[in-house]
Amino acid sequence: MIHIDNLSFKYKNKTQVLNFPKIDLEEKEHLLVLGKSGIGKTTLLHLLAGLLDPKTGSIIINNVNINTLSSHKLDMFRGKHIGMVFQKKHAIQSLSVFENLEARLFFSKQNIKKSSIDELLEQLNLNECKNSAINEISEGQLQRLGIALSVIHNPQVILADEPTSSLDDENCKIVINLLKEQATKNNAHLIVITHDKRIKSFFKNTITL
Amino acid sequence: MNIWKISIKNLRSKPFYTFLSIITLAFSITLLLGIQQLRGSFEYQIKNSLGDIDLVIGAKGSPLQLILASVLHIDNPTGNISFEEAKKLGKNQMVKLAVPISYGDNYKGYRIVGTKTSFYELYNAQLEKGRYTKTAMEVVIGASVANQLNLKIGDSFTSSHGLTENTIELHDEKLKVVGILKPTQKVIDRLITTNLETVWDVHNHEENREEKHKDELIDDTTHEHETHEVHEHHEKEITSLLITFKSPMALLTFPRKINKGSNMQAAIPKLELDRLYEFTNIGFTTITWIAYLILVISGITIFINLFKMVKERAFDLALLRTYGATNFQIIKMVFYEGLSIAIIAISLGVLFIKVGLYFLLKFTDLGTKYTMLHELEPQSILEIGVLVFTAVIVSIFLATYPILTINISTILRNEK
Repeated sequence: MIHIDNLSFKYKNKTQVLNFPKIDLEEKEHLLVLGKSGIGKTTLLHLLAGLLDPKTGSIIINNVNINTLSSHKLDMFRGKHIGMVFQKKHAIQSLSVFENLEARLFFSKQNIKKSSIDELLEQLNLNECKNSAINEISEGQLQRLGIALSVIHNPQVILADEPTSSLDDENCKIVINLLKEQATKNNAHLIVITHDKRIKSFFKNTITL
Repeated sequence: MNIWKISIKNLRSKPFYTFLSIITLAFSITLLLGIQQLRGSFEYQIKNSLGDIDLVIGAKGSPLQLILASVLHIDNPTGNISFEEAKKLGKNQMVKLAVPISYGDNYKGYRIVGTKTSFYELYNAQLEKGRYTKTAMEVVIGASVANQLNLKIGDSFTSSHGLTENTIELHDEKLKVVGILKPTQKVIDRLITTNLETVWDVHNHEENREEKHKDELIDDTTHEHETHEVHEHHEKEITSLLITFKSPMALLTFPRKINKGSNMQAAIPKLELDRLYEFTNIGFTTITWIAYLILVISGITIFINLFKMVKERAFDLALLRTYGATNFQIIKMVFYEGLSIAIIAISLGVLFIKVGLYFLLKFTDLGTKYTMLHELEPQSILEIGVLVFTAVIVSIFLATYPILTINISTILRNEK
């Protein structure tokens, strides 16, 4: 469950206060957040990931009010329960595909066997580039690796920031379906923020900022 | 997977910067270790060469030169003194041991010292093989001489005139090796010792022959009488007298008496060598400062490389934070990178110094004739280690500063 109430945020050097609507997601529910750029979509996502501190309000994820956690506990919570997907850059450059997933598991401190990395690579059709460097793999492979990195540690919430904006229609479909599939498999919430209207039809729950 | 592994992978993904950091640091470590080792060897060498010699009496001239010639055996002597007068001084009550030495020849650059068996007492030298000299034209050689020239008991050779190697002024007489000394790590290892008579005989023959030659030119019939007279005239001389006192108190009065009341000079080796050490120390100090400078530069290089890495890989670091890495873990990662560079550089520095000095000694005379390399003292290794680590750690902490002020949200947002 995710409950967001009375949430607002203010950047240090700006006077404008960003106010966010009340959000209530029941178990396994997914959400699409639409909105023009600059409206505060990414800010909302970073608030949910505990990367920013809200001005007011609370974010409760599975009965934990993340705003009351110490920064160390917040790091731990993020590592264990949250997975993030980005638009283009997905992985650490100096590590190989497999090592990236290993590192993700290391920091999450989740007790997950390495064999599950191979399983996931198989599912996402990344087996052939398992030991490749990040700058050697194709964009499609990188995108899939990004998804793998967001789910390898069995998170409760997957946060995706414009995952489809740079993709063509076909790949857009593939990526959204993969994300939904993986989220369902992990019993995780999937929250996607985007200005990409193509993916509106994939979600039951949609809010517009 | 752990943080060490990520650090190593990070270094490997930037081979050029990593190499540059390692090489500059290794170079400064090599220089620092090299200076320490040479300085240490030099100091050890000087202290050790002293043996038990409290005072050196020789011909008037530079006292430092007298000491260099008679104690370190590296310079030319100041001249000769009368053996009779030296003997008288040796009988003084304050004197424990008085050892006359006489120079003149060398064999392949190794000096031949005419002396008495008490010379060995000065250095606590003992025979490894053979016996001490009994008659003229017999020699006992030091351990390095035996090693370097591959001489054995019973071998004989002809010396050449003067104190430096030459093949022009060869003497006719053959010298025979009768004894080899155990290694002492002191100057005696590099000397060929014989009795005083050898040096006198070799040179008197020579002079007599010259005289004889002249005589023959003038008047063939009188030469026997003439040479005899020359022989009579020839007062025995030595280069210097090495003295050990019964009590150090003697140093207060004895040298002054000689310097004022005779045509000889008395020089105190300890004093002169301290002076010499001060002179050379200026050179060592200069090079040490240069080494420090290079250390600072390598510290800056490491700082720049780590700092660049932190800045350029800001997105990677932010990604790691979204993976659940704490700030402390990120700092640890950068710290390990610097530490790896330091460890590799120190190992390389030690390797360079070992290999470098090996070749330096192998291809020059330094090792065999002058400097006996003294192992680095653990204390100086520790000092350099502490210094290098301080430099590295300061660089690392300066480089990790941006991590503390990093705003992950901003960096992630800039991806697009």
